[in-house]
Amino acid sequence: MKAPASLPDQHSFSSRLRSAAISARVGTALAVCFGLAFLTGLVSHYAQNPTQPVPFPTSPAWGYRFTQGLHVISGTAAVPLLLVKLWTVYPLLLARPSMRLKRLVVELAERLSILVLVGSALFLLVTGLQNISHWYPWAFSFRSTHYAMAWIAIGSLVLHVAVKLPLVRHALSHDVEDTELDRPGATEPGPLSRRGLLRATWLATGAVVLATAGSTVPFLRRVSVLAVRSGEGPQGVPINKTAEDAGVTDAARDPGWRLEVVNDTRSVSLSREELLALPQHSEELPIACVEGWSASGTWSGVRLRDLLDLVEAPSDAEVVLTSLQESGPFRVTLLQSGFVEDDRTLVALGLSGEELVLDHGFPARLIAPNRPGVLQTKWLARIEVRA
Amino acid sequence: MSPARFFLGGVGALVLAYGGWLLWSRREPADVLDAAVWAGGAVLLHDVVLSVALLVLGLVVAGLVPRVARGPVVAGAVVLGALTLVAVPVLGGFGRETDPTNETLLDRDYTAGWLVLAGIVVAVVLVWSLLRARRDHHQPHSGDTPT
Repeated sequence: MKAPASLPDQHSFSSRLRSAAISARVGTALAVCFGLAFLTGLVSHYAQNPTQPVPFPTSPAWGYRFTQGLHVISGTAAVPLLLVKLWTVYPLLLARPSMRLKRLVVELAERLSILVLVGSALFLLVTGLQNISHWYPWAFSFRSTHYAMAWIAIGSLVLHVAVKLPLVRHALSHDVEDTELDRPGATEPGPLSRRGLLRATWLATGAVVLATAGSTVPFLRRVSVLAVRSGEGPQGVPINKTAEDAGVTDAARDPGWRLEVVNDTRSVSLSREELLALPQHSEELPIACVEGWSASGTWSGVRLRDLLDLVEAPSDAEVVLTSLQESGPFRVTLLQSGFVEDDRTLVALGLSGEELVLDHGFPARLIAPNRPGVLQTKWLARIEVRA
Repeated sequence: MSPARFFLGGVGALVLAYGGWLLWSRREPADVLDAAVWAGGAVLLHDVVLSVALLVLGLVVAGLVPRVARGPVVAGAVVLGALTLVAVPVLGGFGRETDPTNETLLDRDYTAGWLVLAGIVVAVVLVWSLLRARRDHHQPHSGDTPT
């Protein structure tokens, strides 16, 4: 029986590869990736929040590096998973709507929730990949919009799982070649078996991870030919913002530069030579960006706590750090008391055994354990105890 | 629907609504519209452009590629397609204009990197296809369709 020529619907797709047996398996991996990206994203937002009911821990020092590397890796891994998942369910997009009102309302509600899920999921992956390469062809604020969309995506994902749970359970408890859940007519063998398509999907997922993860996993640097950063940089550490782009070159090179350390009415003003004359400490700490790149460095300088002792700051002090930058969202940052008290927190003057270069924050910068890179203030001008 | 599923769905809907409120309350309406255009644009790009392109690609493979090589070609296309899509921002190098003096960002030869990856995928597809052709030649009754 040949159907008259008409618009394609779900029965126009005859491949047995577009099956719920594959959707459920790839979808499960996809849910894990989105779950990881969501949780690690929350960690980063909390770490950047000035008010923290539970203080963000200073240990392990590599915690922020690990979670944000995982954030970008799981998001990148989700790209092939999401595309294969959408490919397997594509016929359902063209399914004819029901003619019974009650049924139609339910169908429309489900379609709307899936539109929100797919839209927000694609938005997160597309804007995330653009953000790590500093490509901003839009007007909205990346950070707050990516954050809000993440809640939308994870909410609609949980809703989607609730709706599809019996189907997912059935698919995962039966063999991948099982046809009970297939659309009628979806019987034509594809160029690959279902197992073959699944293997190709896992292979593609592994390939995109290996090709990009070198930005944060040092032993993959040579393999990750598509990573946004090679991991190289002056003194062995990459840079997010150069002194020139931040507009601080002249102020940072000024011989009259002094670091102001202020506690209410007490204050000291220290030149670089005076800072170098104080007891020096060396710490190996990572610089880790929310954009998923990181590198470890050996920093040397003065313990922040030692500086604060000069102005008799109390032991639970929070301090406000001000950069020489004239503008920018991270010109002024708050350092919570846990970081202030940690002996590894330095006002760094050197990196890799050399004088700090301008792009790493010369004449002095903050380096603290387990802290977002954007809050490791460069080109320090002032350290003030918060009243 | 079981109570547990109903509860899970309710939680999902609440979280979704919270996200919607976050989006709406923290930004200007123009920003929200811009974000919606990007999300909607991504859906359209996938549902219309990419999906139709894949359908056409499927027809081309079915028409031009010998049966024995179709499996390897499709698997190779899944891998290389994924690699190419995640490489769009670095291949285009669009982010270089944001921080023009930063030499530690986008600091690889991405075209060469992509060509190497493409070369590996094509080589594997060719070798795999030849091995399958040889196996079929020796066992003419084994059938073409993988199980």
